[in-house]
Amino acid sequence: MSQSERMIDIAGVHKTFVADHGTVTALEPVTITIKQGEFISIVGPSGCGKSTLLRLISGLDHASGGTITLDTAGRKRPVGFVFQEPVLLPWKTILENVRFPLDTAGVSRAEADKVALDLIKMVGLVGFEKALPRQLSGGMRQRAAIARSLSDDPPILLMDEPFSAVDLMTRDTLNDELLRIWQSTGKTILLVTHSVDEAAYLADRVMVMTARPGKLKCVHDVDLSRPRGEDTKLDPAYHALVAQLRRDLRTPGVVHGERAH
Amino acid sequence: MILRGIAGLIATLVLWTAIVYLFDVPAFLLPGPVEVFNRIVFLFENAKLTRHIWVTLSEIVAGFVFGTAAGIFAGVVFARFPRAERFATPLILLLQTAPKIAIAPLLLLWLGIGPTPKIVLIAIVTFFPVMSGMVTGLRYGEGSFRDLATVLKLSPWQRFRHIELPSALPSVLAGMAVATTLAMTAAVIGELIGANEGLGYLLSSGQENSDTSVVIGMVILLSLIGWAFYEVIELIRRRSLGRFQLS
Ligand SMILES: Nc1ncnc2c1ncn2[C@@H]1O[C@H](COP(=O)(O)OP(=O)(O)OP(=O)(O)O)[C@@H](O)[C@H]1O
Ligand SMILES: [Mg+2]
Repeated sequence: MSQSERMIDIAGVHKTFVADHGTVTALEPVTITIKQGEFISIVGPSGCGKSTLLRLISGLDHASGGTITLDTAGRKRPVGFVFQEPVLLPWKTILENVRFPLDTAGVSRAEADKVALDLIKMVGLVGFEKALPRQLSGGMRQRAAIARSLSDDPPILLMDEPFSAVDLMTRDTLNDELLRIWQSTGKTILLVTHSVDEAAYLADRVMVMTARPGKLKCVHDVDLSRPRGEDTKLDPAYHALVAQLRRDLRTPGVVHGERAH
Repeated sequence: MILRGIAGLIATLVLWTAIVYLFDVPAFLLPGPVEVFNRIVFLFENAKLTRHIWVTLSEIVAGFVFGTAAGIFAGVVFARFPRAERFATPLILLLQTAPKIAIAPLLLLWLGIGPTPKIVLIAIVTFFPVMSGMVTGLRYGEGSFRDLATVLKLSPWQRFRHIELPSALPSVLAGMAVATTLAMTAAVIGELIGANEGLGYLLSSGQENSDTSVVIGMVILLSLIGWAFYEVIELIRRRSLGRFQLS
């Protein structure tokens, strides 16, 4: 791998939280290099450190050890983040929320509106531009949050269970839209999901993590042709991978009785 | 709400008139409502009452605005730098617990007899509830908003304008509602102790001249102003809840 291809270099990164009653190892040392334009899915049971890993990459938390290097020189906002909760500002309308990253980056109103309205259309929220977040359902809020994370076009996109509150039909559509955006923009995407089907369908590589202590168990390459679509879901190789991922997550002695929900 | 208020007001007036007539109370102790009303009209016509109302009102508004702005600013600083809060708390508590009536003469000595000492006194009493409202609002504001601000690398001003102020707004407005009553008291104290204009000044000169009608009239005017002031802030606070209350 050439130097310029390395987008995210994670070397021996681990994280320990200090709680009232001792320390919690959220993440045992992880080492992985993610190439520019790669789509990575992360699966694992609850509490295995998936959110922790994304927070470390984004700089929201600091690692207890190891180094994380992002090849995003010159970018003011290297990462976009879709949080596990929508985190919309309740006093701003949906349009204002989606436009927020652009407004705070000094983009002109006309241009920002154009981008935001396109994204609102893409996530299927047309007609709710003037609505406040509290007037939307959980899934609709999450879609607004996805639109917001895309609005200022960050080179790295970190998505923490972005579709967990979205119904299956919409989820399929959003998956395909995400792939389309990824293909046309060349973003590097890390997506956490509890659905192994989704993980395999979207990614170039799937990181499988296990809990207590949280650690990276293995990484699977996804050798399925692009662009992906309905055909992919019929591909025996796809089913084999999904089955493998299920087995990985179930292996006794590694996943201590706790399973993805 | 308003209807009930008006009904209560009328009941009070009737009771007041009844007491004056039934017990034949001498006017220098308790003049009837009509007498007080006539006196107020007389003051309007002959003693520039409008001017006095304006003086008191502008002191209250100016002091309230300064106090609120300082309270919000200090709240942000304290929430961002807990060390600054620990440093400033003793001084603020001292200022807060000292009886306002004791600070007032000092302010008059320093700042003269004009509106400035009153404005400062009003600002001091407004400051505290607004500042604690801001600190509370920021403390309980969601941590996830802070994450959003960090990811978007917002400037301190953007953070304040788009996230901190709106999320603290309900508790800031609650603090401001509390401050209205304190501000009224501070204005009157300031004017009672030394002034040549304002409703508090009329109040004290009414007392010196044993003019009970004027004293009662001023008390009524001040109550009305204080009540309206409180209701305006309350209205804004209630209006803002729909949009700004965190779920
Ligand atoms: N701020 C914190 N303080 C203390 N412990 C924490 C903190 N954040 C996370 N942890 C602990 O770290 C571990 C990993 O948490 P993390 O949120 O990364 O899990 P996750 O894989 O995202 O789980 P889920 O699928 O439920 O979202 C958990 O045991 C959790 O209790
Ligand atoms: Mg998580």
